[in-house]
Amino acid sequence: MNDFVQYVISALSLGGLYALMALGLVIVYGILRLVNFAYGELIMVAGYGLLLFGRSPLPWIVVAILSVIAALVAGVVMERVAFRPVRNTSPTTLLITSFAVSNLLQNIALLTISPRPRAPRLPNLFVENVTIGDIRIKIVDVIALVVSLVALAILTIFLRRTIIGLALRAAADDFTMTRLLGVRANIVIASAFAVSGFMAGIVALFWIGRSGQVWPAVGLQPVLIAFIASVLGGMESLKGAVLGGYILGFLTMGLQTWLPQGVNNYRDAVMFGIVILVLVIRPQGLIRPVYLREAR
Amino acid sequence: MSALQSSAASLRRLSTPAILVAVLGVIALITELRGDVVFERVVTVMLINLLLAVALQVFMGNSGLGSFGQYSFVTIGAYATIWFSLTSTQKRVALPDMPREWWLYKQHLGFVPSVLIGAAVATVVGALIGVALVRLRGASFTIATFAFLIVVNRVALQWEEVTRGSRTVIGIPKYTGLWTALTWAAIAVVVAFIFKESPLGLKLRASREDEDAAASLGVNAALMRWVAFVLSVFLSGLAGGLWAHFIQQFSPHNFYLKETFLIVAMLIIGGAGSVSGAVFGAIAVALTSEWLRQIENWVNIQRSTETTIGNMIPFQLVGFTEIIVAVAMISVLIVRPSGLTGGREIVWPAGGLRRRRDRAVVPSEAGSGVGPS
Amino acid sequence: MTLIAIEDLHVRYGAVQALRGVSLTVDEGEIVGLIGVNGAGKSTAMLSIMGVVRPSSGRIEYRGTSLVGQPPEAILRRGIAPVMEGRRIFPSLTVEENLRLGAATVTDRTQVQEDLDRWTAFFPILRERLQQPAGKLSGGQQQMLAVARALMSRPKVLLMDEPSLGLAPKLVAEVFRLIVQLRDLGMTILLVEQNVRMTLDIVNRAYLLNTGRVEFTGTPAEIRTQGDIERAYLGGGPRSETAPAGAGS
Repeated sequence: MNDFVQYVISALSLGGLYALMALGLVIVYGILRLVNFAYGELIMVAGYGLLLFGRSPLPWIVVAILSVIAALVAGVVMERVAFRPVRNTSPTTLLITSFAVSNLLQNIALLTISPRPRAPRLPNLFVENVTIGDIRIKIVDVIALVVSLVALAILTIFLRRTIIGLALRAAADDFTMTRLLGVRANIVIASAFAVSGFMAGIVALFWIGRSGQVWPAVGLQPVLIAFIASVLGGMESLKGAVLGGYILGFLTMGLQTWLPQGVNNYRDAVMFGIVILVLVIRPQGLIRPVYLREAR
Repeated sequence: MSALQSSAASLRRLSTPAILVAVLGVIALITELRGDVVFERVVTVMLINLLLAVALQVFMGNSGLGSFGQYSFVTIGAYATIWFSLTSTQKRVALPDMPREWWLYKQHLGFVPSVLIGAAVATVVGALIGVALVRLRGASFTIATFAFLIVVNRVALQWEEVTRGSRTVIGIPKYTGLWTALTWAAIAVVVAFIFKESPLGLKLRASREDEDAAASLGVNAALMRWVAFVLSVFLSGLAGGLWAHFIQQFSPHNFYLKETFLIVAMLIIGGAGSVSGAVFGAIAVALTSEWLRQIENWVNIQRSTETTIGNMIPFQLVGFTEIIVAVAMISVLIVRPSGLTGGREIVWPAGGLRRRRDRAVVPSEAGSGVGPS
Repeated sequence: MTLIAIEDLHVRYGAVQALRGVSLTVDEGEIVGLIGVNGAGKSTAMLSIMGVVRPSSGRIEYRGTSLVGQPPEAILRRGIAPVMEGRRIFPSLTVEENLRLGAATVTDRTQVQEDLDRWTAFFPILRERLQQPAGKLSGGQQQMLAVARALMSRPKVLLMDEPSLGLAPKLVAEVFRLIVQLRDLGMTILLVEQNVRMTLDIVNRAYLLNTGRVEFTGTPAEIRTQGDIERAYLGGGPRSETAPAGAGS
């Protein structure tokens, strides 16, 4: 029973992070048909933000906020510099461009910072446990759980209550029509990248908080997870991305908890095998809203 | 058009593989004459990468789809080759986890048959997974190939009996030299060219422009994509076997994203639309990288010996080459998406015959009306 | 007063010449019909005004200033709102969100609320379904939503592309009644339609397009007297409304 409670908490915490990872990818894909490989490097930017800002005497929470802002700005700049000029080409060209951007940023970090992992300053809270009864819970799990829910709530409000948010969702349905209503394409796309950067920033806090280290390729694993979660949820659905993230979180924790290590070694292989399977058999993802199915 | 003109035109078209092979031959000859061991290594690696770029062109250039999964087949080709090329004694060192009672353990073949078998194993896997993959288009296809790269990579890292897991396979004899690499690269160029100009290649490229129109003419685009994919896989597997016997030691870590990126960069920079693009992209990237690496080394020596110049440079130059390649690739994608060759084949200079230039990496899917513009 | 003036407009899609020198005007308070068979160039003309299609030559002016080269988002800000062929509502957004987005260019929040109340009173069915995803509405309801959404920006001119396409006959009549009502409210409307009979019943003037050229122009009465033209180009009238969606010219 206690094992189960611990499992649920860790799974919810991990799932929340995965959901944010997937959202950052899907919000851009829905609008531009760009599968942004360089999304992981936004996480890297926030990670190095933690490292650099962390050297100042600022309180950690300020360091964290600055790092998230850094990722957000990096997302917007990335769009402006690399993706806007190739915006009207094919999805394949966009994907290849993002692959190049990803490599570029990683190598810039390699060159200017260090190829080796660095440990940014993290609050002690991140390594402490709390014991309630016989249940031992990592505090960082609880914080991640709460913060991911808060981030999801902020995003929901933004997407439902602001015109830019509405325009983002509308553009995913029909970009041309959105523009015909007077919404500027550049603003919509820049906002999508800003949201993507914001998500990457939040993810970075906890992803790097878990391992305690940041290195040039730190964003690779999260971007792979985001791929899996968003393919499971259907690349075009924000709700699907969130659901895909949580499902993956529960799955990952479940496999880790209950499967023998020997089998777990093949976990990635099985996961990506499933990705191929879903893409081929159910390209719309495992979940898809009814009204979309009718409309298209 | 008179018969004379038409045969002149087709002759000029056939001049493409001849010119490309001649260029490679000249490079190899110069390398041989220089007698510089380091430079010979550089050129040999370049030729193997060129073979990979050409292999990728066979699929990407004709189908218009992007593949990030090529190195999954290089992995399979490399390991499958050494299963056969190594003697039992060599396997005891290179693949110590392979059970002695296995049939595979006792096999030993010559270099060329082993490489061909290695490529064949990769081809079988590619043909099977290809059946599923060719049903996909656009970004989904690329993501699926990338997923397959990860699957193969993880399996290779775990399946110690046949790969020694994440540890480096060592003690592989060096069979691949400059001229071997040249021969296979030249064969690949010719094969890629023949495929491109074959009725199948032509139809595939036509279907890339408009799959529905092609289907109405009875062209099965998915089937043709599959054929191109399988041919591409075969050439990639071949490159894996050659590389294994050149580098002499490797692990699954040598077949992953960095390597994938390099080949994709070569093809994009050169121009995915033509075999010439793959060849020139590979040469340009390889030689530029080598030159940059020399600068990198020189700078780092200056730094470590703390000369005046060395003290002015704030960091060790690591990844500098990759940065330049990535910047070059992004610039090409923005400024000239059809690559340096513009998607055209190089032909024997003569007026008249001019190739139409492809405007994008993937012309068919380009710009759906206004979209985001 | 002339609001929209098109002069000698040429548009080509690759090798296909879609418009070959079309000229037309739309005056304030008018309903102007743009009629013709599939492929005549009606929708192309409209898309050119909206900045979706770039003309190869010719002039498009709104109140004397050129619209050529303007991006789609700038056209609406000038006061021209589109009701596109196939409705083009946002299926995953709610009805209310669709309407609010129609007022994306309006900064005055009270005005947005006023208009929202006004048009949902005008279209009671939308008020009932305000919080439902627009994708769940029926075809006719989606058409109402598309019109209401266009009105949310308080445009001077409505461009309507095949609003009756794919609707049941009863709903078609309702859409045409609605268009007349909108004119009576002071709206200027350029109406692209294949349903020639009903279009001629409501327009002030019409242009008959054929293979990218204006074949004939005049009042409905003038066009009707050219019976030959009607038979030659326009087929059986009401039948055309069953044409499959997306098959527009």
